[in-house]
Amino acid sequence: MTMKLIHVAFRNISRNRRRSLLSGIAIAVASMSIVFLFAMVQGMRDDMAQNLATYYTGEVRIRNAQYEEYERYNPIHLTVDWQRIDQALAKRSDVTAYVPRILFPSAFYVNGGNHPAVGIGADFSREAEYSDFAASIKEGRIPDAGKNEMLIGSVLARDLKLGIGDKVTIISSTAARGNNAMTLEIVGLAAFPVASLNSQFFWAPLDRVQHFLRMDNEVLEVLVMVEDDERKAAAAIKADLEPLLGSALDIKAFNDISMMYGFIELAQYIYYFIGVFFLLLGSTVIINTTMMVIYERMREIGTLGALGMHGKELTRLFFLEGVFISAIGAAVGVLVGAGITVYLGKFGLNFTDALSGIDMEISSVLYPRFNLWTTLIVYVYSVVISAAATLIPSRKASRIEPVEALRYV
Amino acid sequence: MYRSNNMKIRMMAIVMVALVSIATVGAMSAEDIVRQMDALETFDTSYAEGEIVTTDRFGVKTSTFRSWSRGAYDSLIEFTSVAERGQKVLRTEGELYLFYPDAEELIRLQGAALRQSMLGSDISYEDMTGEKDTLSQYDVKLVGNERISGRDCYILEFSAKTRTVAYPMQKVWVDTGTYMVWKGEFSTKAGRLLKEMAVLETMTVDNRTLPKITKISDKMKRDSATEMRLSRLDIDVDLDPVIFTLQNLTW
Repeated sequence: MTMKLIHVAFRNISRNRRRSLLSGIAIAVASMSIVFLFAMVQGMRDDMAQNLATYYTGEVRIRNAQYEEYERYNPIHLTVDWQRIDQALAKRSDVTAYVPRILFPSAFYVNGGNHPAVGIGADFSREAEYSDFAASIKEGRIPDAGKNEMLIGSVLARDLKLGIGDKVTIISSTAARGNNAMTLEIVGLAAFPVASLNSQFFWAPLDRVQHFLRMDNEVLEVLVMVEDDERKAAAAIKADLEPLLGSALDIKAFNDISMMYGFIELAQYIYYFIGVFFLLLGSTVIINTTMMVIYERMREIGTLGALGMHGKELTRLFFLEGVFISAIGAAVGVLVGAGITVYLGKFGLNFTDALSGIDMEISSVLYPRFNLWTTLIVYVYSVVISAAATLIPSRKASRIEPVEALRYV
Repeated sequence: MYRSNNMKIRMMAIVMVALVSIATVGAMSAEDIVRQMDALETFDTSYAEGEIVTTDRFGVKTSTFRSWSRGAYDSLIEFTSVAERGQKVLRTEGELYLFYPDAEELIRLQGAALRQSMLGSDISYEDMTGEKDTLSQYDVKLVGNERISGRDCYILEFSAKTRTVAYPMQKVWVDTGTYMVWKGEFSTKAGRLLKEMAVLETMTVDNRTLPKITKISDKMKRDSATEMRLSRLDIDVDLDPVIFTLQNLTW
């Protein structure tokens, strides 16, 4: 009997080809959009995690415990002892790489005026081990330790009409809570994936920045890459370092630091709900089509009822029609969505203009991330929701009396 | 009888002195008071040493300095504390220049930059090296008298003639005897208090009573105050004119 119903259901689908196509396309578009949306969110999340780890926070960040409380006052005197942290981290097997950094707001004194810029004091020999730093050099070279040199974001250089060989005097507050100025020569232009890094930041050798900011052997933060779970690693490092340094430290995993990353994680769950609504919207086409088919085939339903077909069987028949349309539509949609995702995952989506001037840790070119499991889940999810939606009109067919149905012209 | 006459004479003397004082006070216009006040703070030449002690939410920070001045317009400050050693601030010909030993160029401060905090203190560059020709920049009004730190003071209100000054409105308490400013309130045109100043201790140099310790608090900063303490002040000293040149700044 079931085989017969399946056969009849397929025949009915092909009998109403245009309507079936319309329903299938609605489901396909919804499924395709969801696959692409999820891939984009995953891509953004991965991209942000990568940028945070490489440029902003590391997977685990070590700072002075008081820094966050006073962050808005630029408390660059709230430092950590780099030498002792270096010794302690070197002994840990769960730490894969780490770099000291000094992030400091400053002003470029150019043509008699001050222009805001953010400086990063970095140990470039360590940066090479930590990330593919050299790949960001667009022109010139990385500054040498011990020399008054800087690497500048290419957009910042363009905006201030600066180039390699030019000298710039930077002004900033010091860790001694005074002011200082120092002249640095531009030896390289950098093009980082994040727009704000190119338009606001410059990099200088750690030792010169320590001298400039009167920091001795202190640094503002240490960024750490770890092997396992970042939160667990952060807790383990904290337990290890605090007794050793004898002072409280702020040691956090990157996903507990960035508010934006938290939003993206939250957005992922919100998108699951949005996905349900997308599919419900697509399903209204199926409901509408099935209802119309039921009214159109009222005499046929009456005949089937008069010949002894039960109401439950009629429900199953129309339900199966809905399931097949959903399954085919969702399959096509998921495949097209996956195809677009794989293509854009390779070539990327360029948001340079849209993201210019926006201070976010997201790259200007985004790559949607294809995930087989997510795609399969979206497929199952699409079929289940769409099929469940067809139950509403299908149940109506079971309640039609054969005598009444046969009166339909 | 003799005692009674003596009392009368004494009383008359007191009344006469009081009348003379009132007449003198009445004769002093607000502009005259300001001229006296500016004259007190302006020296042909001077040399000073002292420290700037800033207390804020992060603790106490002390910077030491030495300074030279000539007339109302030229001054040079050199910081001698370890963290700022060699940094200099020169004001000359209406311009303000900063010299930092690690910088290959002089930084000329102008406009809003003059209002930046000097060494993170409550004192701006303009406060430290400000010109002392008050009447060319402000209209002044005498609004009353008050006793401050046990001294009779005139209360003067200043309103800026130009937009180029740091404080559009000022209210100062000027000693009626020494013309030293004991207290000052510096505000925006709308009356919002920007800074407060009070003299905590005075010293006498060359028969002039001058501030030794002055407390300044920037009302835009919370829990912050700065004391400028002079440990030495020499007036009318021989100074090489080269001190106030840009060339000297970079030596």
